[in-house]
Amino acid sequence: RSMLLFIAATIAAPCLAGDVPAAATPKRPFWEAWKPVVDVSRDGYRAVDLFWYTTWMCIIAFTLVVLALVAFSILYREKPGHRAFYTHGTDRKSFAITGALAALVFFTIDMRLVQISQKDIKEYLFNWPTSADTVRVEVYGQQWAWNIRYAGPDGVFNTADDVVTLNDMRVPVGRPVMVNLKSKDVIHSFYLPNFRLKHDSNPGYVTRTWFQAKEAGNFEIACSQMCGWAHYKMRGELKVLPAADFDTWMKESQGDALRRFDPADKEQMWGWEWVQ
Amino acid sequence: MTELTLEPRDSMQKLELPVRDPRAPGARPGHPAGESVADRRKTTFVGMLMALASWTMLFASLFFAYAVLRLKAPTWPPDGAAALPKLLPAFNTLLMILSSFVLHQGVKAGTAERLRLLRSLFGTIALGTIFLLLQLAVWIPLWRSGFRIDSGIYGSIFYGLTVFHALHVLAGLIALFVVALQARRGLVTSGRRNAVRMTAMFWHFVDVVWVLLFAVVYLV
Amino acid sequence: MSQDQAAGRRVYVGPDFHEEQHIHPDPTNFFKKYIFSFDHKVIAKQFLWYGLFFLVVGGIMAMMIRWQIAQPGTPFPVLGKLFFPQSGGVLPPQSYASFFTMHGTIMIFFAITPILIGAFGNLCIPLMIGARDMAFPTLNMLSFWSMMGSGSVLVASLFVPMGAAAGGWQSYPTLSTAIGQPGAGQTMWVVAIFLAGSGSIMGAVNYITTVVRLRAPGMGYFKMPLTIWGIWLTAILNALFVPVLAAGMILLFLDRVAGSHFFLAGAAVTKGGGDPVLYQHLFWIFGHPEVYILILPAWGIVSDVLSFFSRKPAFGYKATALSMTVISLLSMAVYGHHMFVVGMSPLLSQGFMTLTMLISIPSAVFFLNWLGTMWRGSIRFATPMLFSVGVVFVFGLGGLTGLHLGAVSSDIFLHDSYFVVGHFHLTMAASVLLGAFVAIYFWFPKMFGRMMSETLGKWHFWLTIIPISIVFCGMLIVGYGGMQRRLYNYTDYQFLQHLHMVNVWITRAALVLGASQFLFVYNFFSSMISGKKASANPWEVGTLEWTVPSPPPHHNFDKIPVVLHGPHEFANPLVKGKDWLAQNEPIEDVAVGPANVTLEAAGK
Ligand code: HEA
Ligand code: HEA
Ligand code: CUA
Ligand SMILES: [Cu+2]
Repeated sequence: RSMLLFIAATIAAPCLAGDVPAAATPKRPFWEAWKPVVDVSRDGYRAVDLFWYTTWMCIIAFTLVVLALVAFSILYREKPGHRAFYTHGTDRKSFAITGALAALVFFTIDMRLVQISQKDIKEYLFNWPTSADTVRVEVYGQQWAWNIRYAGPDGVFNTADDVVTLNDMRVPVGRPVMVNLKSKDVIHSFYLPNFRLKHDSNPGYVTRTWFQAKEAGNFEIACSQMCGWAHYKMRGELKVLPAADFDTWMKESQGDALRRFDPADKEQMWGWEWVQ
Repeated sequence: MTELTLEPRDSMQKLELPVRDPRAPGARPGHPAGESVADRRKTTFVGMLMALASWTMLFASLFFAYAVLRLKAPTWPPDGAAALPKLLPAFNTLLMILSSFVLHQGVKAGTAERLRLLRSLFGTIALGTIFLLLQLAVWIPLWRSGFRIDSGIYGSIFYGLTVFHALHVLAGLIALFVVALQARRGLVTSGRRNAVRMTAMFWHFVDVVWVLLFAVVYLV
Repeated sequence: MSQDQAAGRRVYVGPDFHEEQHIHPDPTNFFKKYIFSFDHKVIAKQFLWYGLFFLVVGGIMAMMIRWQIAQPGTPFPVLGKLFFPQSGGVLPPQSYASFFTMHGTIMIFFAITPILIGAFGNLCIPLMIGARDMAFPTLNMLSFWSMMGSGSVLVASLFVPMGAAAGGWQSYPTLSTAIGQPGAGQTMWVVAIFLAGSGSIMGAVNYITTVVRLRAPGMGYFKMPLTIWGIWLTAILNALFVPVLAAGMILLFLDRVAGSHFFLAGAAVTKGGGDPVLYQHLFWIFGHPEVYILILPAWGIVSDVLSFFSRKPAFGYKATALSMTVISLLSMAVYGHHMFVVGMSPLLSQGFMTLTMLISIPSAVFFLNWLGTMWRGSIRFATPMLFSVGVVFVFGLGGLTGLHLGAVSSDIFLHDSYFVVGHFHLTMAASVLLGAFVAIYFWFPKMFGRMMSETLGKWHFWLTIIPISIVFCGMLIVGYGGMQRRLYNYTDYQFLQHLHMVNVWITRAALVLGASQFLFVYNFFSSMISGKKASANPWEVGTLEWTVPSPPPHHNFDKIPVVLHGPHEFANPLVKGKDWLAQNEPIEDVAVGPANVTLEAAGK
């Protein structure tokens, strides 16, 4: 009896535990409470579609498995005077069934995933944009902020006319954005939830990634690699502007850049030669 | 219709194993009880083989690390480091190879050849000690000349690999020394005893690692 | 005292050898018997206590982690005030980081490894293959004491100034070098992992040799229980891949204390830097086999227990053993799937992805064999069986979510998110932990000579499997919602605000899960003191450990058994009166009938 009481308490206590609501929790119906934020990228659908393909296939396979598990548990409970069926499962039929099911799973799920991923690798992930309107950005992670650099009118990085910002990245709608990543101290990971994109930024050498926005708006840059105790605060802003606005902003900033440039400040020259 | 043969009967016939008393001499298995000396010898051999497989992976990983760092470096040796001396290490390589041969004499020593065993054990110890001293003679001038473990990746690799290997030589020497003392006191009487054979396996392993290390760190 | 001595028989000593051949006499001195024991059964118990202790520590840390996630900035009840008086019981962000680092490290290297590999490896190998002890008893003892040293260093590191290691259980440089972690805690972490690794290797060498050399007469490889297959494969992976981790630890140690530059890079490094990604290669060359190191014993145990309690031979025994072997082989060549976003070449990514996918073929084979074992069985739902069915359920979930992560395209989105956390908790914290519970419930009678309470065991099962599924499936959901792992306070990000409700429910379920473990603790201790006395073979199964008394005598077997059958001879129609056959029991003793019957005739 005391045990039952204990069990009841075990379940009740945590469920009653106070729930401090997060600041300004948006009210959403339950079934939407877990959806990722809106996808505004040209290629983000690839990850999400593949995710759902895998998920549905797994749900089908897993449902069958669970059905079998439950059915066997109920049907084949021990009954008095009854013995199990004596088989080692080594006959041809068993092998054929197991083999066929395994092959079925392999070809409908695994090979399909490989195929789709390979297509995505070819069409998107490693298909670097080369068009003339590509926006090039250098992103330099540090504990715990994102440094952003655009080349100035000379088109060369790490010169006095570069546009440099902190935690404030702006890109135009509809033009490919190519990013060079590197970091100052520890490994960070450049994460754009609204673009379903993630890429490590390592100290010591440059890595690359790219994306293209479909819609304008204000979004977030997150860090997804453990980088010290304030990892959770390494938040930047990504402003996707209509193409014209972006150009205006760029012009203004380039004007400011030369004025602000302080040759004595060596720290400022963290940029590097562009890696295409 | 599947024919169901009785597994038990089958295996009984195939095995043809008399039910042996495990406590009788010569019966295996079940160390420490009932394992014959010959069986015990095989068992320790398997154990040592696995241990050396483990060690191989350890050194392989270190060599892998070296290869990755080297492939990533634009030039080698990087940051204008001076070339390493080659003569002394080459001589050391010869010493190590020689020591393996000397030790092998000991392993071949039979029960009556106590002197052969002792000579081989102490000979190996002597060669190993000279090896370590010569290693010091390589390290000290380099260190004095400013080439240190913290002077960039080249120094890290050079000292990391060679010192780590030297520690193994030291461990081997200690083991050899213990065995040699036992042999002198007459506790270890032949080269076929486990103590000698296992130590020898370890020593040969350390030897092979040195030859590879010499080749990739100093020569290539 | 051994029977030889009792009978006044002379022990045999070879002419020029002093290796002894008699059965070890039972130790009489307390220290020799319980502390520095060579007996595999005592060492098994030592590992069990060690692992359970750390399981509690890691579990408490998990509770505090969950508390902080659901209710950022509120004090943890009772314990919070004890650990963090300065902040009024609230977990500070620095401590949060060392908590998940320590939680991961402890659970993997100090809880699961000692329990499943240390304790049950030691207990089961000699008993199940019919040997008197391990091949190298001294090495066995050293292995435990090396783990002990390691555990002490790790616990001590919690109390040094600047705190314990806080770079994640993977401790990627440069965060784990002096650039990111100047304190002594991280160095001690490196030392602890190195020592734990040495202990694992010693154990592994011993296990492999024992299985290769000391099997009883007649115990062919394909007559070994699947438990032994699992532990043996684990030992092989341990012996081959823990050294790779050790190499990483040595280099990291040198970087931290000797000023070398293997993994250093970035602005702070002036004199020729190394490569932090090299560490990731070393870590995952070890790390991927490590996850199978953890789960192979559980797979083996579950395969056996499913057969034992379905009263039916393991379905496709050989296929199961071979699939586990194939997985072990494949596991050596897939590690790159942890590094898809590091910036690998596309060719490598594709190769690793394809190899990763190949693993699901053998996985599906043994998974289906599990179902096949239950099919047309005569199932007894004792606690070990319940937990085994639980493992089948959660491993299905955990394994299938591995597919999402194995595909490059979706992993780009899911990497380092809670989806990964959900995946590996379903595989490790659910499958492997429940596998450990299976082992404890099943072998408790053999270890301690008493039965555990079935009623409490069943409550424990239901109060574990339900919350555990909620907790870890909830993590999958927030992971899909985009939440990164290792966030002290996810509400700092706008795009994660709406996940609050799911996170709160995960925490609630986790607290239920934590609390229900008290049932187990109570059951464990009360049964040890006053449980029903166990007979030699309470579960009516045929593997060799059940042919000797519970607990077994010091030398295990008076007579080394001669093995005649496989480990799962259940429901053999030739055996009358009972439905099982011990592995060394001549069938003539129990059989009535012709030596050859047809299957059909047998069915009638
Ligand atoms: C015991 C532990 C364990 C196990 C068994 C597995 C099993 C698998 N894991 Fe997991 N994994 C971890 C522990 C484990 N993993 C850990 C700890 C991490 C993260 C570490 C960290 O970053 O901190 C990780 C991370 C991880 C990643 C990296 C994710 C990332 O960081 O981005 C990947 C990617 O490929 C992956 C894949 C897989 C795959 C393909 C399997 C496969 O083995 C799964 C195979 C199983 C099945 C495919 C399911 C079984 C079959 C069926 C259900 C039958 C099918 C149905 C019918 C026939 C009807 N794992
Ligand atoms: C086998 C490994 C294992 C196990 C069992 C667990 C168990 C649990 N883990 Fe853990 N976890 C990891 C391995 C494991 N974890 C790893 C590797 C990480 C990554 C770390 C990193 O990011 O670096 C991680 C990270 C991790 C996080 C992410 C932190 C973050 O990224 O910010 C969270 C968050 O919820 C979490 C929660 C839990 C919970 C609720 C449990 C629960 O299941 C716990 C329930 C268990 C108990 C409450 C203890 C039970 C006690 C007994 C049974 C006592 C018996 C005792 C006697 C008889 C004496 N874990
Ligand atoms: Cu930067 Cu996390
Ligand atoms: Cu993996």
